[in-house]
Amino acid sequence: MAGTSNLLKVRDYIGSMPSLPTTVSKVLEVCNNPKTSPMDLDRVISLDPVLMGKVLKLINSAYYGLGTQVTSLVRAIIMLGVNTVKNLALSTAVLDKFTSNKNFRALNMEGFWRHSLCAGVTAKLIAKKRGVESKALEEYFAAGLLHDIGKIPLNNALAEEYVRTMAVADRDRVSLHVAEKRTLELDHADAGALIAAAWHLDGAISDAARYHHAFSEYQGENRDVVLTVAVANYYASREGIGFSGNLYPDKLPPEVFEELKFRKEALEELEGPVNAEIDKAKVFLRLAQ
Amino acid sequence: MFTVKIWGDRGSMPTPGPDTVEFGGNTSCIEVRCGKRLIIIDAGSGIRQLGDSLMRTDFRAGPIKADIFITHTHWDHIMGFPMFTPIYVPGTELRIRGPITYEEDPLEKVIGSQLSYRYWPVRQEELAAKITYEQIKESTFDLGDGIWLTTKYLNHPILCLGYRFEYRGRSFVTLYDNEPFRNVFPTDPEDPQYDESYAREGEEAAREQNEKILAFMSGADLLVHDTQYTAKEYVSGKVGWGHSSFEHAINAAHKAQVKRLLLFHHDPNRTDTELQELEIFYQAKLRGRTSMSVEMSREGRLYTIDPVE
Repeated sequence: MAGTSNLLKVRDYIGSMPSLPTTVSKVLEVCNNPKTSPMDLDRVISLDPVLMGKVLKLINSAYYGLGTQVTSLVRAIIMLGVNTVKNLALSTAVLDKFTSNKNFRALNMEGFWRHSLCAGVTAKLIAKKRGVESKALEEYFAAGLLHDIGKIPLNNALAEEYVRTMAVADRDRVSLHVAEKRTLELDHADAGALIAAAWHLDGAISDAARYHHAFSEYQGENRDVVLTVAVANYYASREGIGFSGNLYPDKLPPEVFEELKFRKEALEELEGPVNAEIDKAKVFLRLAQ
Repeated sequence: MFTVKIWGDRGSMPTPGPDTVEFGGNTSCIEVRCGKRLIIIDAGSGIRQLGDSLMRTDFRAGPIKADIFITHTHWDHIMGFPMFTPIYVPGTELRIRGPITYEEDPLEKVIGSQLSYRYWPVRQEELAAKITYEQIKESTFDLGDGIWLTTKYLNHPILCLGYRFEYRGRSFVTLYDNEPFRNVFPTDPEDPQYDESYAREGEEAAREQNEKILAFMSGADLLVHDTQYTAKEYVSGKVGWGHSSFEHAINAAHKAQVKRLLLFHHDPNRTDTELQELEIFYQAKLRGRTSMSVEMSREGRLYTIDPVE
C-alpha cells in the first residue's frame, strides 16, 4: 500500500525535522549574544514554526515536569528564564541536520514561512479583536503558526510524490489537502497530528493542525481556536501572503464567522496590523522585502 | 523529632574571617532530621563540618545513610561535596537528587566531576561510598517513614528547586536561591519593543508564578528564604541575579502565614555587625505587626520543629 509506506516515511522524517533555513543563522546570532532581550528571543523562536514546535515540545516534555501545558513562549521565558529557553532554542537549531537539497521540493520554504507567520499573527489579532483573554492569545498565535506544520514532512520526506500532488490539485482545481488524500492517502492534517503527538503538543495546537480544514467534524474544547485558525488560514490564502502550496483553498461557510461572532468584513481591518507584524519579522531576519 | 540545623548559610562564596563568626562563612548546607532519617539540603562548604560531625556521632551506630537534595548546581551549593568525609567511608549510602538545567551532562557528572584529577586528588570512581544520582523536577515524593517532599521551580538563572518537607503534621520549606518572578517583557509603551499582549501576558505569568510560590510556602512552620540583598541593593543593579531582598521575603512569608522565618543566603560582603543591625532593624519594624518570628540564619544553630501531637 502506497499509503502505508508514505506514512512510514513521514513518521521517520518527523523525528529529525530541521528548522527552516530562514531563521537558523538568526537563532545562532540571537542566542549567542549575551545581551539578547527576552523579546528578541521570543521573536526569533516564534518566527520559525519548526523551531517553535520543538521548543514547546521540550518545555512540555517530562524533562521539566511542569504540571500544566505551556503553549506560550512568553510564559516559558518567565517560568524557566531567558537562559534556559535560549539553550533550548540553540540546541534545537544547532543539532538539526539539514536534509540534502537534491530532492525535488514542491514547497518553497520562504513562502511557507510567510504563510505560517501570517496565519499565526492573524489568528492572534482576530482573537484579540474578539476579546479573548490576553493569556490565551499566544495559544492562538502558536496554533496559527503551526497549523500547516504537517506539510513539511510531506514536502521533504515524500518530495517527488508531493510535486505530483500539487499537479493534481492544479489539474482538478481542488484544495491541496484533498489532492494529498487522493495521491498520498494522507494529508497534511494527518501529518500535523502525527507531529503534534510526537512533540507532545496536545490541546489547541494539535487540534488546529488536525482540524483546520475539517473543522465541522470537530466539537472539542478547542473549537474556538480551530475555527479562528481556519479563518486566519483563509485570510492568508485570500490575501496571497506567503504561499503554502494551496492554489484553490476551500471557501469558508458564513456559519464559521457567525459562530465566532466575527464579521467577515472585519478582516479588512487586519490588513495593516498583519502586514506590520510581517514587516517587523522581515526587518528582524533582514530578509529582502 | 523534626529538627533543622544550619551548617552553612552564606551566599556565593565561603567567607572565613573575624567578620563572619556570628552568622557563619560557609556556603549552604542544611541538616534535616525526621525521626531517624537524615536529609541534607545542599553540599556547599558547610557540608564538610556536617560530615565530620556525622563521623563522630551517627557513624558509631553504623554506616551513614542520607538523602541529599541539591537546590541547584551553582558552585556554592555543591563545592563542599569532595570534603564530605562519609563519601570515603565504606558502607555509606547516599542518594543525591536535584534539578539540572537543559544540558547534556547528567547530575552525576555535574556534581561528581569535581572529583577528577584536574580538581582533586581522588576520583569519583575511587569513592568508597555507594552514591546514586537522580535528576528531579517539580513534583511530590513519598520519602517513606511518613516524610513527604514537594518541590517547586524557583526563579534563578538556572533551574533551581525549592523543597517543602512535611513530617508528622509539620512543615519545613527552603526557598533559595530565588528572586520574585517578574515580567521580563517591556511594559513601557514608549519602549520600541513594547507589545501590549506580551506585556500583559508577562504580567499575568509572573503573578501566577509568584502566587504558586506563596502557596508553596503557605503555613510553613519553618521557612528558610533567600535574602541576599536589601530592597535598596536589589533595585540598584541586582535585578535578574536570582536573589530576593529581606523586604520581599518578609512580606511574602507573612502573607503566606509562615510561622518562623530564617533569613538565609547572606551576601558574602555582609559582616556580622551589619547582619546584626539588619536583624534588629527588621525585628523592630515587625514588632506587633505579625505573629511570625523572623531571624537571621546562624551557622551551627539547631531549630526544632515540634511534631503535632
